Amino acid sequence: MTDVLHEAPPDHPEHESTGVDNRKLGMWLFLSSEFLFFGALISNYLLYSNRPGFAGIYPSEIYDIPFTSVSSFVLLMSSLTMVLAHNALTRGDMNGTRTWLFATAALGSVFLGGQVFEFTEFIVNSNMKLTTNPAASAFYVLTGFHGTHVALGVIMLLSLWGISRRPGGLSEKHGMNLELVGLYWHFVDIIWIVIFTVVYLLSVPPA
Amino acid sequence: MTATAERPQTTIFRRPSAKTGIWSWVTTVDHKRIGIMYGYAAFTFFIIGGVEALLLRIQLAQANSEFLTAGAYNALFTMHGTTMIFLFVMPASAAFMNYLLPLMIGARDVAFPRLNALSWWIFFFGGIFLYSTFIFGTTMAPIGADGIGGVDGNLALGGGPGSFNFLANSPDGGWFGYQPNAGPLYSSGTAMDYWALGLQILGLASLVSSVNFLVTIFNMRAKGMRLLRMPVFVWMSMVVAFLLLFSLPIIAVALFMVTFDRQFGSLFFAPVGGGDPILWQHLFWLFGHPEVYILVLPAMGMVSEILPTFSRKPLFGYSAVVFAGAAIGFLGFGVWAHHMFASGITPVAQAAFGLSTMTIAIPTGIKIFNWLGTMWMGRIRLTTSMLFAIGFVAMFTIGGLSGVTHAVVPSDWQQTDTYYIVAHFHYVLFGGAIFGLFGGLYYWFPKLTGKVMNEKLGKTHFWLQLLGFNLTFAPMHWLGLQGMVRRTWKYAPETGLEPWNLAVTVGAFIIALSIAVFIVNWVTSKRRGQPSGLDPWDARTVEWMVPNPAPEYNFAVPPVVTRLDHFWHLKYDEGPDGRAVRKPDADDIVAKIEHDQLNPASPIHLPNPSYFPFFMATAFPTIFYGIIYHRTLWGKALIFAGVLIALISVIGWAIEPLEEPHQEHADGAHADEEEAAHD
Amino acid sequence: MTTEHHHPTPAQYWKIAVLLGVLTAIEVALYYVNLSYDLGSLNAVLLIVLATLKFVIVVAFYMHLRYEKATLSKFFTGGFVLAASLYTVVLAALGVLVIRGS
Repeated sequence: MTDVLHEAPPDHPEHESTGVDNRKLGMWLFLSSEFLFFGALISNYLLYSNRPGFAGIYPSEIYDIPFTSVSSFVLLMSSLTMVLAHNALTRGDMNGTRTWLFATAALGSVFLGGQVFEFTEFIVNSNMKLTTNPAASAFYVLTGFHGTHVALGVIMLLSLWGISRRPGGLSEKHGMNLELVGLYWHFVDIIWIVIFTVVYLLSVPPA
Repeated sequence: MTATAERPQTTIFRRPSAKTGIWSWVTTVDHKRIGIMYGYAAFTFFIIGGVEALLLRIQLAQANSEFLTAGAYNALFTMHGTTMIFLFVMPASAAFMNYLLPLMIGARDVAFPRLNALSWWIFFFGGIFLYSTFIFGTTMAPIGADGIGGVDGNLALGGGPGSFNFLANSPDGGWFGYQPNAGPLYSSGTAMDYWALGLQILGLASLVSSVNFLVTIFNMRAKGMRLLRMPVFVWMSMVVAFLLLFSLPIIAVALFMVTFDRQFGSLFFAPVGGGDPILWQHLFWLFGHPEVYILVLPAMGMVSEILPTFSRKPLFGYSAVVFAGAAIGFLGFGVWAHHMFASGITPVAQAAFGLSTMTIAIPTGIKIFNWLGTMWMGRIRLTTSMLFAIGFVAMFTIGGLSGVTHAVVPSDWQQTDTYYIVAHFHYVLFGGAIFGLFGGLYYWFPKLTGKVMNEKLGKTHFWLQLLGFNLTFAPMHWLGLQGMVRRTWKYAPETGLEPWNLAVTVGAFIIALSIAVFIVNWVTSKRRGQPSGLDPWDARTVEWMVPNPAPEYNFAVPPVVTRLDHFWHLKYDEGPDGRAVRKPDADDIVAKIEHDQLNPASPIHLPNPSYFPFFMATAFPTIFYGIIYHRTLWGKALIFAGVLIALISVIGWAIEPLEEPHQEHADGAHADEEEAAHD
Repeated sequence: MTTEHHHPTPAQYWKIAVLLGVLTAIEVALYYVNLSYDLGSLNAVLLIVLATLKFVIVVAFYMHLRYEKATLSKFFTGGFVLAASLYTVVLAALGVLVIRGS
C-alpha cells in the first residue's frame, strides 16, 4: 500500500523511477554525503595527530586500547541487534522487534557511556582538553561528532521502541522508518570501524 | 480503505487546512509557493547586496576617499559577497528549481513536500540570523596587535559622523573567512560568529533540498520521461544537487571548526597554538569551488531551454550538453587549490591544479559551441528572455577566458588579489549566472502569473544592464593588471587608478537603474500584463503543457512522454527539408491540452500543509544564538530551548496524520484517499 | 517495506556478527604484536585490510546493499570514492601523506 512504485493506484499513474523507495533512496544519498563530513574530520585528525612541537599531551600517548576495543566491539554488536530487530519486524514478531530495538539502544548507550568515561579520563587524569593542542582538538571534535551521531541514533531507536508499544505502532507503514533508522545506525557503526583503526590502532605518538 | 486507519488517530495535531491568507503561506508544502517565496526573498537580498556594492563603489570612485571607514569597507565587501552568493544566487536558483522541476518532469510535487518547506524556512530564518549581525554583531579590531602598528591598526580611522562606521560591527573577514584573520584573535567580537553560524544554517537548508531534488528527479518522472529525455535544466539541477550533497558537508566541518576555535578555544587554525591556516583554505575551497558551479549551472540549464525555444530549433547536441554539464560538476571537485596558487602550496600541486583547471575549459567550451550551434540557422526571435540568454553566452565566455588565464600559475601570481580576479568572477557570476536568471524570469513569468512581461521595458532593462555591467566590470581587468589591489578601502591618487574607478562607479549606478526598470516591469506586468495563454513562446518542454498560472495540482493528466521535446513534437512535424512544420491542428491540440488540464476527471488530492517545517526551522537560529552567547545563562537557555523545539517538531512531524479525513479541496475535489507521498 | 528480495536469516546475521568479532580480535592482536615486533608498514596495511573487510561486510549484509538495486551502490560508493580521493589529495598537499615527487 505504501509502495507507490510497485502498485499504481488509479490516481497515481505509473512513472519512471529507480525502483527504490523514495525515503530509502533519500537516506542512502544523505549517508553518502556523510562520508565527506567524517572524511574532513578524520583528515583533520591525521594532519595533527602526530605533528611534533605541540604543547601538552597528545591523544596518541594516552589511548586505552583494551578499553576502546571493548567499546568498539559493543557498537559492532549493536549492528547485529539492529538487523535482528528489522528481521523480527518483517516476520511480524512485534515482541522480538521491541526487544532487539531496546537492545540496540542499550548497546549504543553503553558505547556512549564508554566515550564519556574516556573523555573524562583524558580531561581529568591526563589534562588533555579541547584547548590543549590541535591534536587534542581534532580528537575531541572527531569522536565528539561521532558520539553525537550515536546519541541521535539512540534517540531515534528509543522513539521507534516507544512507537512500537502503541497499538498499530510499527505497522508495515512504519516498517520503513525502522529500516531507515537501521541504515543510519549501521553507517554510524562503519564510521567507527574506520575511526577505531585509523585513530586508535594506527596511532603513532609524535617523534 | 483509508490508510489513516492504520495510523493511530490523534486529534492533537490536526493538520492546517488554510488555502488563502498568510497562514496558508506559513504552512504550505506546495513547491510552487515555496519557489515563489524563495524568489522574493532572493530578490530582496539582491537589492540589499546591490546597495552594499554601491556603497563600496562610492568609496572607490575617488582616491583617498573618506566616505567609508576601513572597518565599514571590510564589512561591506564581506557582506556583499556573502549576500550575493548565499542569499541571492543560490536561493534564486532554488526558486526556479522548486517551481519548475516537478512541472518539467510531469510530477505533481517533489518527493518530500514537508522537507521542501523545511528547507525554505531554514533558509529564511538563516538569512535573518545572518543579517541580525548588523544589529547585534560586534567587532573589535586589535589596535597594534602583535606589533603591527600604524593607521591600519585602527579600522575606524578615516571617518567622522556619517561615515557608515556603524557597519563595521558586522562580519568583516571576507566571504571566505580566511584564518587566522577571521579567527578569535584577529576578529574578536561576535560578528564573524554570526557569519560562520549563519552559513552553517544556510548550508543545512541546501543540503536538505539536494536530497529532495535528487529523489524527485530519480523517482518521480512521468511515464516515458527517461533520463535522456529530461530538459537540460533538470539535468543541471541534478548535477547541482550532487555538488551540494558532496560539498556542503566539507564546509560544515570547516565552519564547526572555526566556531569551536572562536567559541571554545580549540586550536584548529591558530598558528599560535600550532594550528594550520592552510587547512582552512583547503577545506573552504573544497567546498568553494564546487560552489561556483552550483551558482552557474542552473543558469546554464535555463539558457539551454531558452535558446532552442527562441531559435525554433532543438538544442544542438543535447547529449553533449548534458554530459558536459556532468563533467563540469565532476571536474569541479578537482580544481579547488587553484584558489591557493599564491598560498605556498608545492610546485607539484600548482602544476596539477593548473592542469585540472584548464581541463574544465573543455566541457565548458562544448556547451558554448552547442549553444552557438543551436542559434545557427535558427529563426531567431529576440525577445527579452532571448537577449539575456545570448548575453549569458557572450559574457560568460569573456569571464571564462579570464578564468583560463588564471589557470596559468605564474600569470595567476600576478593577478591574485587584484581587481583582475574581481573582473573574472563578476563576468561569470553576474554576466553569467545573473543574466541567465533574468532570462529565466522573463521566460517563465507566464507560468507563474498567466501574463507576459512588457517587452519594451524588458529590452530597456536588458540594454541598460548590459551597458552598466560592462562599464562596471570590464575596466577592472586593466585596473587589476595595473596593480589595483582587492579588499583595500582606499588608493592613492598617484596610482592613476581614479579615472577608471569613477567610470566603474558610474557603471554600477547604471546597473542599479536597470534593476529599477526591471522592478517596474515586474510590478506592472503582474498587475496589468497581457495574458499569455498556455503557450506564449511556442515552447518545447512539458512544463508548458499546464495552464498559466499553473494549477495547484500541476497536471490533471500527467503527460506520457514519447521523446525529447515532447510538447514540441505534439505541435510540429518534420518537413521535407528537415525543418519543423507546424501541424495544421496544432492550435486545437494545444487548446485541448489546456482544457483537459483545467478539468481533472477525478479528484486530485495533494499533500496537506503542515506547521512543523516552520517550527522546526526556528530551532536552528535559536540554538546558534545560544552558542554565540553561551557564556551567559540565557545563552545556555536558548541552546536548550532550540534543541527542545527541534525534538518536539520532529516528533510532531512524524506522528501528524497524513491528512484530515473528508477534507474539501479548493477545487471542490473530495479527498477520500491517502496521498501516498511520503515526506 | 519491500520483501521481494532476499534477506539473510537471523542465523546468518549471527554468523556475520561472529566473523566481525573475530576480525576485531585479530585487529587488536595485531596491534599488540606490532608493539612487540615492529612490523613496519605491514602493520598499517594489514589493519587497513581488516578494517575494510569489516566495513564492506557491514555495508553489504547489515545495510543490505548486496541485495539492493545497483543505483544505491553507485551513489554510496561514489560518495566514498570522492571523499577518499579528495582527502588523500588534501593530506598530500599538507605534507601528511608523502607522495613521491611532491
